[in-house]
Amino acid sequence: MILQTAVRELRAHPGRTAFAVAGVAVASAMLLDMLMLAGGLQSSFGSLLSGAGFELRVSPSGTLPLDTDATLQDAVALAQDIRSEPGVAAVGSVLALNVQVEVASSAGADSVGSMVFALGVEPQVQGLYRIVDGSDLKGAAEILVDVRSPARIGDTLRLSSVRTFGSAAAASAEFVVVGTAEFVYASASEVPVALPIQALRELSSRPAEASFLMLSAEPDTDPNALARRLQALIPSVEIVSIREIVRRAEMRLSYFRQLAFILGSVSLVVTALLVGTIMAVSINDRYGIIAALRAIGVSRRSIIVTLLVETLALVTLAGAIGLVLGSVTARYLESILSDFPGLPAAIRFFVLEPRQLWLAIAALVTVGVAAALIPAYRASTLPIATTLHREEP
Amino acid sequence: MIASIAVSSLALAQPVGQELAAPPGVGCPDSPAPILVERSLAKELGLAPGERVRLSGAAGSGCEAIVEGVFEPPADPAVLARERPRVWLHLPDLGRISGRIDEVDRFSIAMRAESDTADLRGRLESLMPGAQVFPSWIVAEQSSTTFNVVSRFHRAIALITLTAGGVFLACIMTLKIQERRTHVSALRLAGISRGSLARWVMLESALISGLGGLMGLGIGAIASWLINAFYQRAYDTTLYFSLVTRDTLAVSLVLAVILGFAAGAVATWRLLQADPLVEVGR
Repeated sequence: MILQTAVRELRAHPGRTAFAVAGVAVASAMLLDMLMLAGGLQSSFGSLLSGAGFELRVSPSGTLPLDTDATLQDAVALAQDIRSEPGVAAVGSVLALNVQVEVASSAGADSVGSMVFALGVEPQVQGLYRIVDGSDLKGAAEILVDVRSPARIGDTLRLSSVRTFGSAAAASAEFVVVGTAEFVYASASEVPVALPIQALRELSSRPAEASFLMLSAEPDTDPNALARRLQALIPSVEIVSIREIVRRAEMRLSYFRQLAFILGSVSLVVTALLVGTIMAVSINDRYGIIAALRAIGVSRRSIIVTLLVETLALVTLAGAIGLVLGSVTARYLESILSDFPGLPAAIRFFVLEPRQLWLAIAALVTVGVAAALIPAYRASTLPIATTLHREEP
Repeated sequence: MIASIAVSSLALAQPVGQELAAPPGVGCPDSPAPILVERSLAKELGLAPGERVRLSGAAGSGCEAIVEGVFEPPADPAVLARERPRVWLHLPDLGRISGRIDEVDRFSIAMRAESDTADLRGRLESLMPGAQVFPSWIVAEQSSTTFNVVSRFHRAIALITLTAGGVFLACIMTLKIQERRTHVSALRLAGISRGSLARWVMLESALISGLGGLMGLGIGAIASWLINAFYQRAYDTTLYFSLVTRDTLAVSLVLAVILGFAAGAVATWRLLQADPLVEVGR
């Protein structure tokens, strides 16, 4: 009955209710977006890194993988040393360089003479790509191309090292495309290739270098403890766990989390002001009726509960619309941030997780009901005779 | 005081701090290399001019350097999230310490006023095979991609905020005017024309939204000051993160008045459609 009364009251003023619902819906859409933004990057980046199956990264001192052009100089020996350490299950070396590519056979004229990002990998220990079509790398003269590449399986690509100023003529070699792959960390504008690391080392005259190493720990080994132990043993390189990489990436992009916090808070303030104002005006209109109800014996508690249920109905309706609206705007904002340079295309800024959804609902309901509490209490404590005399319901 | 520091240098974009086997010709300069230290690093390590530090690089156990001065980096948003502080040192010194003798990452070229950029670019690239020559606007464009994305994101957020603000204002104005319905209806019954009442109520709407807008500007200015204070402290920089310009103030105020006026107009129209006798309860 209380709910029916609340709904009837909202329906009695359709214009006012519509505006209130619209206002709270936009504010709750903003709140949901900001909650998605606050945790999205961390969640998305963490699952992207964990999905590769390697818990640790080794990179040049003071850098994260592919942060700079700096490389690990004696990477072959370094990888062997690390491999022999207890708790280390596997070590994969990666050399990442820009190379010139041209199609030496078949279709794919688009890519002639273009620059591509080449990943030299150890195919049996890598977590950088997933084969989509064809087979993985086996021979020294084989190459994998991105699924978006115009090159096809069976094509022969000629790769040339990038000639630096003052160097001799660039080295080049031919590779046969044996498969297409999805590259986990490729950005939207990158169409990388993968080839055996030894072939890329020879091509670039970097016989023992690696950009970074990927390590996986034994199942019973704590990756963070392993990282600390290895770092103490080899202080000349940077050994970091996925958790640490995510933390550092978060620090770099902390702006978005802070923005999310500020705008999320503003949304809650707007919701509180809006609900508070609407309920105050709506209750002011009904002082006479409320006083009459009190005069015939309706308790203060019932008056407050009825008014709060009315608020709850308003906030619930607006919140439901806001959640839909928030999902749509999150998609729009995501499309803008997807152009962020250097970030893997698989990274999402806005991730909707049940926790965020429940948090948005809880925050909205709490703030809305709290904002209505003061006018509701004031209405329940009105002096009955004076109000009835003044209001004439 | 001797401090070991792992920093990146501006002369060559090569992190130093990694200890490697020294290639031939690589070693420490004959006398301690003079360096300039970024203010934040000097503050963190308690460094002052005249003090000595050790820079480790390709030259094995590290080379002694002497702090010649402390510098304040230019307020550049592109390097804001940089985790490693910087030191400046002479190019030959860094070449020896890092093992990259006679190498540079890039040259900066100042052109004579009468020179043609495209022509010079073509000539330099043909003279230096393997080198790429870019006019500064291309470099600026490439390095500002991040800020273009952030700027577009800000515009989108501003649009959403504006929508929320507009709806909020419309809602408040509707309520405000509805509160006056008995009064307005009584005036209508007393013979005041709809046009006069509409002008009166709408003028009041514009005044309320104008006053609200002015208060909003004050709140915005305080928020902007707080944002700058917080982020300048967080990033230890002199960069301004939020700027309140005359244009921003004007646009905000005009938008507030227009939105308030429009909301008032809608609410007034609805109010004047109602039967005044019903509104006064007869």
